[in-house]
Amino acid sequence: MTPIAGAVALNLAFGFSILSIICLFIFTLNEDKRLFLTGQRLSLGISFFVFLSTFILWYQLIISNFDIDYVARYTSIETPFIYKISALWAGQSGSLLFWLFILSIFATITVLQNQSKHHGLMPWVIISLSIIQLFFLILTNFVTNPFMPTDADFVVANGNGLNPLLQNVTMAIHPPTLYLGYVGFSVPFAFAISALMNRDTSTLWIQSIRRWTLVAWLFLSSGIILGGWWAYQELGWGGYWAWDPVENASFMPWLTATAFLHSIIIQEKKDMLRIWNMALIILTFTLCIFGTFLTRSGVMSSVHSFTASSLGPIFLIFVFLILIISFSLMYLRKSELRSEKRMESFTSRESGFLFNNLVFVVMCFAVFWGTLFPVISETVRGTKITVGPPFFNQINVPIGLILLALTGVGPLLAWRNTSKQSLIKNFTFPILSGLIAAIIFLFIGFRGSVVISFSLSVFVLATISTEFKRGISARTKKFNESIFKALFAMVSKNRSRYGGYIVHVGIVFMFVGFTGHAFDKEKEFSLTKGQSDHVAGYEFTLLKLSETERPNHYAWISDIRVTDNKGEYVTNLYPEKRIYFHKNPDVNRRQPHSELDIYSTLNKDIYSIFSAVDNENGVVFIKIMVNPLVRWVWIGGYILVIGTMIALWPRKD
Amino acid sequence: MNSNKKFTIMIAGVITVVIFWIGWVSSNPKDEKAMASFISVEKLLNDKMKKRTKLGGLVKDGSIIISETNYLDCSFVLKEGAAELKVKYDRSRPDLFKDGAEVIITGQYLDGTFYADELQTKCASRYEGDLRDESSYKLTEIET
Amino acid sequence: MDYIRDYSLVFIFFVLPIIFVIQPLFLKKINDFENQMDLSSLKRKKRLLYRQIKELEMEFDIGNINQKDLETSRKELKVEVSEVITKINANKI
Repeated sequence: MTPIAGAVALNLAFGFSILSIICLFIFTLNEDKRLFLTGQRLSLGISFFVFLSTFILWYQLIISNFDIDYVARYTSIETPFIYKISALWAGQSGSLLFWLFILSIFATITVLQNQSKHHGLMPWVIISLSIIQLFFLILTNFVTNPFMPTDADFVVANGNGLNPLLQNVTMAIHPPTLYLGYVGFSVPFAFAISALMNRDTSTLWIQSIRRWTLVAWLFLSSGIILGGWWAYQELGWGGYWAWDPVENASFMPWLTATAFLHSIIIQEKKDMLRIWNMALIILTFTLCIFGTFLTRSGVMSSVHSFTASSLGPIFLIFVFLILIISFSLMYLRKSELRSEKRMESFTSRESGFLFNNLVFVVMCFAVFWGTLFPVISETVRGTKITVGPPFFNQINVPIGLILLALTGVGPLLAWRNTSKQSLIKNFTFPILSGLIAAIIFLFIGFRGSVVISFSLSVFVLATISTEFKRGISARTKKFNESIFKALFAMVSKNRSRYGGYIVHVGIVFMFVGFTGHAFDKEKEFSLTKGQSDHVAGYEFTLLKLSETERPNHYAWISDIRVTDNKGEYVTNLYPEKRIYFHKNPDVNRRQPHSELDIYSTLNKDIYSIFSAVDNENGVVFIKIMVNPLVRWVWIGGYILVIGTMIALWPRKD
Repeated sequence: MNSNKKFTIMIAGVITVVIFWIGWVSSNPKDEKAMASFISVEKLLNDKMKKRTKLGGLVKDGSIIISETNYLDCSFVLKEGAAELKVKYDRSRPDLFKDGAEVIITGQYLDGTFYADELQTKCASRYEGDLRDESSYKLTEIET
Repeated sequence: MDYIRDYSLVFIFFVLPIIFVIQPLFLKKINDFENQMDLSSLKRKKRLLYRQIKELEMEFDIGNINQKDLETSRKELKVEVSEVITKINANKI
């Protein structure tokens, strides 16, 4: 297929999206079923053409057709196959097409899955999805078209190639995962809008999007964790989270989405918080679009952003349109959204959820404030003040700790009201364990927020185990089952609930890992062969410096032996200094890259970076960081994914 | 007072506390590295600002001097428009730091020298810029 | 031969989808599919309500709600279920 076909397919998708919106809109007025069927098929058609053009672009990337500007910019003949595939989301126009591609997959699934369900909701759901598709089709058709040919007066013999930093498997998976999360929230959003249009804001729409929301949440969470993992493994500053605007952009919708996941439980069980849920999902989706905007527009300087482009204003207009339309719709439906039920007591499950929600949203606001602070200070005071990680840490550490505490408190509260006896009964063990832990940690010599964080972690783990124990003993009493059978039956009968608790365990482990950050140590030094230096009780000795040439780069490899303070052998580290494009005659085009080596244990990571090499004198310059407990962040991440999967696992009826 | 009102007050209370907290941190950050004002080199030189600042510009060609005794010690000249500023930096340098690189530095100005403790390089032009390098050539050049 | 290949590809990828999309417009009026849709969504609702009753009983066993709340909520849910069941039966006939 020629690239023209790809461009034509995008044009057709554009046309189809307009037709589908019109068609379904007329259907909502005259109820002619034929129009509904056509609208549904038009929506499938949009997706089909988007798939077609995406596959054509992929094909062009694989065959290295440098007549297409995008292909020439992001790949070269030598680029390995999988990075030719991942080049689809390496640049601006491609990644917008990729957004559209994922949205189309989701739209297709939604349409096919609900052909015989939610008859009332579907027309507006499809209209909303088509409108979102239309927006991205406008961008890819008229603003940055991925099929744009290379400037006519040039023949490109070979393309630029993909940035070596992006030539990494994690980096090939991280953006799609994050995108699956971002885009995934389009579906719950579409259902929410449809519920508003149909004046049916009871629990029906919530039930139909619970799983979707959870899937999107899972992708968003794992995308964020993978991004942190990539930064830690590749970027060489020894951390996984820098409060960079683009990281924040993915964290903000995560916060509101997490709040939403919790508060829909209340709407389902108690039919409360209708307005709040509506607002949360609208906010989450808007933040997803805003996140894409921050990533793609270059408004904020960041590792992620692309060079400044014309996309900024268009995205901002879209964000404002979504906000204005959705919230005015909510205003028009305010009488339907009001529910008669009221909170009755502070010590109730409902109020626990409410406060957890409040804290999530407040944290989101804090992150938003910090992210936009440079822009705000520039408009208000005329000087651009940039804020760094210490600012975000100072604001968010206390909020995060409150959230951690609520994670423990919430599940132990009863619905409607918790009696004094059961408060005492449920909280004695967790509070005691937390206090004992705090005393032990203080005794060891920890201080300040570290103690609070560790002992809250113990507290939360204790509450979760109490929850499991209560559930198991209820079953063993009632059905006379063995403990294991009861545990298994209990989890499989209440997947979302116990899956949720397992996610909480994951979050606790991640908090333990975050807390380890307080003990980080680092040092930079130079070594010649046989020389050694000390960091945090470890001794580092350079055994050997070797050089080698590999297919796409040249590398210096240092062999460093690590021994602990008793002189016992720990490990060998092999950080590398690489030069990519080393054969390029133009020295400025060659690109150095430090490939790090990490020795990781449950207790701490030893992180080594080869900063530079002095060839003549055989001196290597090394930066060593000792980061305690980082492993727990990744372990927590795995547990989080497993817990979410348990919650998602379909049940037989 | 009914429970609904109690909740409203409680929620309003939480929000007020947090807004004060955010405002307080924004105006008195604990760590001096938390904030830096982004200004132009020219303004820094005119005002002789002693506060922590962030500057952007290009590394002047041939200005990078690396100390012979300590490889990490380095100095260079930052150019922004016509303004030039001597910068000292003594930490490991990013891979893309070289003559002509676009950099963002953070640190403090003292007696004619800027002591930077953070140095970021901007994305290499190779990946976002021009295709007109040695692997491409003009059609018109071949024909003539 | 290239012509034939190109035209057939264009036909498959561009003309067929368009035919697929406009085909329903030429159908006669569709009536019966609404009932089917209602029936399946009612059944779904019934399942969900049963599930809610079970969850309610579990919450009680664990001690997260008191006897009185259990009784009232269960009663409400049961009334709802019976309404749904009546509707399903009416639909079947």
